Amino acid sequence: MSRAYRITVKESESRNLKADDEICTQLEILEILPPEDMATLLKEELKKRGFGEQDDGTMVRKDEGCTVAIDPCSGEVTVKAETAATVNQEAKREATGFNDVGPNEKSLREKVKEQLKQDLDKKFDQEQTKLQGKATEALEKHLQELQPEISGVVNQVTRDALKQKAQQMGTVKEISEDAESGSLTIKVEV
Amino acid sequence: MAKGDEQARPDRAPPEPEGPRQVTKFEFNLLRILRFLVGHFPADQGLQFVRTPLTRPECLSAGAVELVKDTLSKASVLFLTRAGGWRNDKYLRNNQPAPGRVWDRIPLDERALQFSRPVLDFLLWLTAEKVHETKQAWDAAPKALTPADELFFALAFDAMRSDPDVLTVLRRKDTFVRNPFCWIMNPADVAEPDGNRPQPPDFAPVFAGQRAVLLECLQTHLTVRWTRTERAKGQIGDWRKMRQQGAAEFVALQGFLGAAEAARRTDLARFVLRTNAQVLQSDMTPVFWTGGLQGSGPPRLADRLETQRAALAVPRQMEILETWQERARYVGYFDDDYQASQMWKADWEAVNGDRVAARARAAVEMLEPLRGPTAAQTAAAADRAAGENPEGSPG
Repeated sequence: MSRAYRITVKESESRNLKADDEICTQLEILEILPPEDMATLLKEELKKRGFGEQDDGTMVRKDEGCTVAIDPCSGEVTVKAETAATVNQEAKREATGFNDVGPNEKSLREKVKEQLKQDLDKKFDQEQTKLQGKATEALEKHLQELQPEISGVVNQVTRDALKQKAQQMGTVKEISEDAESGSLTIKVEV
Repeated sequence: MAKGDEQARPDRAPPEPEGPRQVTKFEFNLLRILRFLVGHFPADQGLQFVRTPLTRPECLSAGAVELVKDTLSKASVLFLTRAGGWRNDKYLRNNQPAPGRVWDRIPLDERALQFSRPVLDFLLWLTAEKVHETKQAWDAAPKALTPADELFFALAFDAMRSDPDVLTVLRRKDTFVRNPFCWIMNPADVAEPDGNRPQPPDFAPVFAGQRAVLLECLQTHLTVRWTRTERAKGQIGDWRKMRQQGAAEFVALQGFLGAAEAARRTDLARFVLRTNAQVLQSDMTPVFWTGGLQGSGPPRLADRLETQRAALAVPRQMEILETWQERARYVGYFDDDYQASQMWKADWEAVNGDRVAARARAAVEMLEPLRGPTAAQTAAAADRAAGENPEGSPG
């Protein structure tokens, strides 16, 4: 006589998921002074804004899950957002077998386990997508906040470079700056 | 005709047979395919012949070979003449400008096209095999090809690329993948679609000998092609396709311009300058290129940005051309490159290169994150606004 039986398999897994997103771009630094002098000015300005110098000369600052790295020599900016989470997922499946015809209990259990593994992979993939979305969102938000600051850095470096250049050209008689319009007037006696 | 006349011209070719030549069914198909490849036969019917296999004969009849030679010679010359060879233009020859049509500038022995065995082998293979389900592999060593062969294979690739099955097969063959003319005419199609970074061939040989002459003839043709491609980019909806196409175009043009500079043949990069001038006729935003992209694109911002940058592959080349112009400005009367640099400056001014470069730069920079208006840019923009109105603006 054929007898049916039910197998229930439950699997749980824990994985460390990581996601990141980054953009690379170039600062537009005008060549008012020789490149090495411009790099020094940029480095000084970045230090004032909380950037730390690394062994390779890049200036790095970490803000709320985002890392901003600027190479003062090339002007290359890299902004990277990283997110990580330990995610637990559980999956459960049931299967019915028969004691006479059809797959035996061992092969049925293996088949269900295989399906469970795929279920878990799918769930982790969904979590990974969510985490990726978070990293991208954080990066986009951070870029919006960073943009005025970077513009400020570039403007400040340009102003400092112009002042230095003026000093090299002759005696600076007068310097007037308008913070609103961003204009800088330097009178030099040559 | 008098007997004496016949003795006086012993090398005369045998008289043409009256009426059309007799060819076998295989030869008939082969000739039709050849005519399709050189653009003298409808594409849909030509591709039908390419998809239909026929049993390959032991050899071709002398008449059929004659017809192949005749078609190749006439069609190639006609194509090159129409593509731009007829134009009364100036190109560099021994670093000096040489004016005139191609047949005025270049001696006959330097522009005589020679086709070699791989062309006929390719035609035989194309006629005998169902290309996308081929039993017999065919390919030719790129180094064995003559300049005329390379041009023929580039035209053949262009004719057949509309069929995705055939394109997949052709993309695996060195004859096309290592052919610089294919890369300059169709970079997006010749590059491997799944490749992370497209690998164009070395463009240095294109700037010497007969290949350079071919490139001179192709300048107008290339300008039209690239302009059409640029204008069609706004219709591309698939992010992946856009990225692949842009990446292929970018590496192809970078390689090409690098080789042109090294060979001091900046005149052969006119099509890049003119394409930009055609496309950037007014101030443009990146939307012109990326406006057709559907959906929000890849989840990562890095990938989205990379795709958008790739879309502007052609305007991004203006940066290189600007450095050429900058250098040309400083070449003195007694320098070796004076004539060449004068010619480049004339080309640059003819298309208002400074304005085109400024527009290209503006469009490229709009994509770049963290590029806020600096004080200098704001002032310059204010000056511009006071001095002139952008093209197409109402006031």
